Amino acid sequence: MKPLILFFLLISSTYTFAQDELPSITIKDLKNKPVNIKSAFAEEDKVYVFSFWATWCAPCLAELEAINEYYDEWSEELNMELIAISTDDSRTQRRVRPLLNGKDWPYQVLLDGNQELKRALSIVNIPYSIVVKNQKIEHIFNGYTQGAEHELYEVIKGL
Amino acid sequence: MRKLFCPFLSFFLLLSSLLFAQNNSVNLQEVDEEEKYYGRFYGGVESNIQYYVEDSGLESAIVPDDQLRSNNYLYANYNYKRWTAGVQVESYEKDALLNYNPKFNGTDLGIFYVDYKDEKWNITLGHFYEQFGNGMILRAWEDRALGINSALRGGRVKFAPNYNMEFTALYGRQRSGFGVTSGDLFGFDADFFLAEYLNLYEKNQDLSVGFSYLGRYESFDNYPQLQNPDFNELTNAFSLRADYMWKAFYANVEANYKTKDGIINVQNLLSDTFAEPGNAVTFNFGYSQSGLGIDVSLRRMENMGFFSQREPSSFTNFEGDQSTSFDYLDTFINFTPALTKQHHSLLANIYVFQAQHNTSFEDAQIMRAGETGGQIDFFYKFKKGTFFGGKHGTHIFLNYSNWYNLPGTYTFNPPNYDVDFFGRGNKYFSDYSIEIKKKLNNTWHLGFNYINQYYDQRLLGGGDLVRADIITAEATYNFTNKRSLRFELEKMWAVGDRQDWFGGSIEYNFNENLSIYFWDIWNYGSDKAEERVHYVNVGGAYRIGAYRVALNYGRQRGGLVCVGGVCRFVPESSGLTINFNTAF
Repeated sequence: MKPLILFFLLISSTYTFAQDELPSITIKDLKNKPVNIKSAFAEEDKVYVFSFWATWCAPCLAELEAINEYYDEWSEELNMELIAISTDDSRTQRRVRPLLNGKDWPYQVLLDGNQELKRALSIVNIPYSIVVKNQKIEHIFNGYTQGAEHELYEVIKGL
Repeated sequence: MRKLFCPFLSFFLLLSSLLFAQNNSVNLQEVDEEEKYYGRFYGGVESNIQYYVEDSGLESAIVPDDQLRSNNYLYANYNYKRWTAGVQVESYEKDALLNYNPKFNGTDLGIFYVDYKDEKWNITLGHFYEQFGNGMILRAWEDRALGINSALRGGRVKFAPNYNMEFTALYGRQRSGFGVTSGDLFGFDADFFLAEYLNLYEKNQDLSVGFSYLGRYESFDNYPQLQNPDFNELTNAFSLRADYMWKAFYANVEANYKTKDGIINVQNLLSDTFAEPGNAVTFNFGYSQSGLGIDVSLRRMENMGFFSQREPSSFTNFEGDQSTSFDYLDTFINFTPALTKQHHSLLANIYVFQAQHNTSFEDAQIMRAGETGGQIDFFYKFKKGTFFGGKHGTHIFLNYSNWYNLPGTYTFNPPNYDVDFFGRGNKYFSDYSIEIKKKLNNTWHLGFNYINQYYDQRLLGGGDLVRADIITAEATYNFTNKRSLRFELEKMWAVGDRQDWFGGSIEYNFNENLSIYFWDIWNYGSDKAEERVHYVNVGGAYRIGAYRVALNYGRQRGGLVCVGGVCRFVPESSGLTINFNTAF
């Protein structure tokens, strides 16, 4: 039992570390060009939403589809941009582009094929979205349930 | 265990005090224009705890002596400019969850590494994960839900002279439990993205090619029974691949070859004479545009079992059951998931196919040298305003997959086989399905599935032939744009094994943070009275920020539990499960 108690002490101490800074990690875009997460998305006071997804992850696709329905309105009203980060590994990465062909999403898509960024943010499950303003992580969405895009809107609006 | 944990805890607390100290000093220095960079500390915690209980209604349920078991992971990293160092401490107390690799035992350091990275170079010492191409000759990865951690411990250098090419060279031994196996692995991989050189992007085309090599050296000293083996201590594996895309069409091909290597017999032992080379070919192509997609995958694998330790370790559990490290997917150097549709219905996940890349001779009837087959996946969206589309559109998904043993002649004693490249042997598995998704309006979303499965347990680990038809219907009712109720009914008619099932689930989403569910699958059609049970489960999940806590109370059906096409066998049990994860 003792180890478990210690373990929960550890967990509670994680709160003091809760990270708020974006890691300086470079991943690739769809044309293999490197993009640094920290420096490429640094426009002052603009809100960036980094949404982690994969071709095989049904709730991820549902989330991105749902946001797509409102994306025009949101980006007109708010100074925001969504970046869809595919965590597909080399097994499914070749399905990313065909899938995007079909989806016609307005998002910039980046490939985190070695899951470097995913690991640096300690993401266990996707969908997972982080809301960033001035290079600081302001909000995290761990998972997606239907309708959560409205909460995302409120969060962006509140920043 | 306390030996390791206490220092770790104090280290953690010390670090946290340091961090506070830093915060203070940063505040003090605010007058200075230059803010000092202290690096970044980050990581995550995951904990999966289970309390197993006696259950008079579930005869075959296992109740271990240690009823409270847990798998815990603490992943902590520190990054300073181009340098990153990290550890993963794992704690399996008191013992790992049922049917995890017995080598995951106690609390210890699972992973440690130091990494240097600049624009062109990335050098890692310690543990690292890696995959070459499809993973047919190397896949070192982690999946905690499946109890897999096949990280290599050694060194790796990645060099990218520009963003259109990348080279990787590595050496390591593969992790097994908290140690490593005796096989030395060394590999090389090269990837070239040619589109920019050939001006293909302008023509809406893309082309990349790749090549890999992996060598595995394992001394014969471990196998005293080998006198004059027909294979070498060093086994070489090669892979060639190409990826091409033109507008909405795409195609990729990968070919792999493995030199002659010993094959274990039914007692899991190597012999001088049973040795064969292996090969695998994958061909995938398709077309996709808005509202329409078709994807075809064909794959043939022959004797592609590739292990960092040729003979598996064997274990006996507290119930006296025998198992080997292969049962826990331990010491696998390569790995490929099954190319079949991943269903989300409960009943469609009872008979799940796993890719058969090994050669396995179990008895004079059951002899396998690999698999051959394919999958066709089709998607179509009836547009809004059409007859089938209605007001909001209708989505249709069709999937057709068939997998067979390799055709040819097999002899059991002495073990030998001679297989053909084309054609198909005995059928392992097929799955034909249609899925329809329909949004009626903003409040009602409907779904329907029909699945036909063929699963030959005689060839796939024991049992009889199963033919099953499954129908599921689901509906989601949205009260508001946050609150919703989902319910699903499932019915399976099966011939063979445990026969007919019925299932249902209800899920209620209060908001984006909290959801609860209840589900039951009932094996009412079984011939055996003790199998006619309800597997009832109730639970929920709460998420806030990076934190997620999930609770489940109920019965675990014995069988395969799968993540992304890879499965783990779990025994029947009853109890309470708590999952927790967060990031920092």
